[in-house]
Amino acid sequence: MRPSVIKQVAVTSLREYLRTPEAIFWTYGFPLVMAVVLGIAFSSSEPGAVRVVIPETSQAAFADLLEKDNGRVEIEVRPADAAERALSMGEFDLLLQGSREDPSLRIDPRRPGSELARFHLERLLAGESETAGPRIEAVTEPGARYIDFLIPGLVGLNLLGAGMFGVGGNLVQMRTRHLLRRLTVTPMRRSEFLLGFVSSRVLLSLPAPFVIILFGWLAFDVPLRGSILTVFLLTLLGALSFSGLGLLVASRVRTVEGLSGVANMVMMPMWLLGGSFFSNERFPEVLQPLVQAMPLTHLNDAYRDVMLGGESLGSALLPMLILVVIGLISFVVALRIFRWK
Amino acid sequence: MSDAAAGSAIELRQLTKVYKAKEGDVRAIDALDLQVERGEIFGLLGPNGAGKTSTVEICEGLEEPTSGEVRILGRSWGEDSQGIRERIGVSLQETKFFEKLTVLELLELFASFYAKPMPLPELLALVGLEEKATQRYQNLSGGQCQRLAVACALIGYPDLLFLDEPTTGLDPQSRMRLWEVISSFREGGGTLLLTTHYMEEAATLCDRLMIIDHGRCIALGSPKQLIAELGAGHVVSLEAPGIGERLQAAELSSLASVRESTSLGDELNLTVEEPHVALPAILSLLREKNIELAGLSTRHVSLDDVFVHHTGRHLRDEEPRK
Repeated sequence: MRPSVIKQVAVTSLREYLRTPEAIFWTYGFPLVMAVVLGIAFSSSEPGAVRVVIPETSQAAFADLLEKDNGRVEIEVRPADAAERALSMGEFDLLLQGSREDPSLRIDPRRPGSELARFHLERLLAGESETAGPRIEAVTEPGARYIDFLIPGLVGLNLLGAGMFGVGGNLVQMRTRHLLRRLTVTPMRRSEFLLGFVSSRVLLSLPAPFVIILFGWLAFDVPLRGSILTVFLLTLLGALSFSGLGLLVASRVRTVEGLSGVANMVMMPMWLLGGSFFSNERFPEVLQPLVQAMPLTHLNDAYRDVMLGGESLGSALLPMLILVVIGLISFVVALRIFRWK
Repeated sequence: MSDAAAGSAIELRQLTKVYKAKEGDVRAIDALDLQVERGEIFGLLGPNGAGKTSTVEICEGLEEPTSGEVRILGRSWGEDSQGIRERIGVSLQETKFFEKLTVLELLELFASFYAKPMPLPELLALVGLEEKATQRYQNLSGGQCQRLAVACALIGYPDLLFLDEPTTGLDPQSRMRLWEVISSFREGGGTLLLTTHYMEEAATLCDRLMIIDHGRCIALGSPKQLIAELGAGHVVSLEAPGIGERLQAAELSSLASVRESTSLGDELNLTVEEPHVALPAILSLLREKNIELAGLSTRHVSLDDVFVHHTGRHLRDEEPRK
């Protein structure tokens, strides 16, 4: 392999990226917008009221509830069939019917808000005041809020996207433009090209995580308690691992549409189960092997341990090892099956 | 003779390429033999889908033949692919380079692949892109893109150059500029395999050419030879509804100076030695048969007539695609 060729390929790829403003937006703008929107959405200290619907037929029975001003419970009256429909559409958390003495509640037990609605409504039906019971304190200190959970997750997602589209998307585009096959009829070695290209994309994905972390700190006081060097190492390994995955995803597909299909197949489960937006520790037992097999899970956990828990390099070794192994396997398989034509 | 110079530039023996398809296998190349000598400008002429590109891409090592033997500059792809790649230059039919890179940057990239690349100012002058050196690829015209593609093919001083339809879709002026580049490559002693479906391009540029159709060679020789093989220097083309069915081949070829007739439905082509002798005879036959002509033209025999002679079809495809 000739370093001069690897360098020239990398420089080409860097130039192409830096001259594409929309690529820069998707790397930097998108995660920041997401952080702001989700950060604000989840930062209100008061949770929203639960919503209850009463069919007109039962309106008279619960007249006393309707007259009271219930801070935690919002009640509306609808015609019977409309009430049923609104419940199934998720407009309401709970449907209350029957008589005052023998009320019956209809809920969808699979919906997270249902139990909360039931809790508040039962207290209301029993005539308990809202302030009764143990005193409640809201968690507001940095490091324990939702935004603190979210920022490391966004960093992980950012690296995943960079691997899938930065590496995978660009390679497929070069394939559809016949550029890959044009390059393979020169004395350029394929390994020189892939090394130059992937290293440029890894280099390009390094700054964004720090921009997101810096933004989290400035805008929401999200702490960075561990060493920034450990964060850097994690970022580097995460970028390498996801580049391998991107290479694998792009290794056979012939069209950009094909790539977005395969990339979504890889990304969607990770968005849902990778622990970026919500903790995946309490997902059902059957899903856990899948959760644990995802590189994003380990990367997110490691970021959180280092940023929020202040853990040192030592505790991140296992996730790093997992990232390296997944990355290596992807690279090796991708190189075997890679289609240059 | 050194090892590098041994052997023909291209040697194909019984080359066959079969593509698997749901509707049955497609025989893109059918037992093709081809030998291109060093220093030759060799043309592959044929309509779209004739097997030109498949043949070229097998020579370039991009496709594997189904069967048959391929030797490029005396080597086979299996033995010494790297050695071949260092000595060939390629311009594929449809390549789009990096959009955001400038002409100079793209050439720098390709230059880095070769041990001794052509100095870039020299290369830019050769293809006439000096003034576009700092323009991005996305802002180039079709002709400029093609010249850049040819520049990338020439950058490593190739012994053997492959140009696959380099002028398809170009305006006449851009086409002429590319012809100039090819001519200067010929003067340097290089070998060129060119595919085209423009017959005048093949006639102007090529020392020898092969006309292929359905993956088979239907004619091989210098443009002059191929035209001479028709045995007559002119074509008289008659147009009238259903004229092909209304006149018998035998009565036509018995006319003075007419060598052969080819019916194309509403068009009838006669190869003719001396038009001034043949025309009166043709016209009196038409009067006799009560055939009213919609059109009549005479021209010198071209490669298209060679193609018509062998296949009963026109090369057509004169208009640029897309």
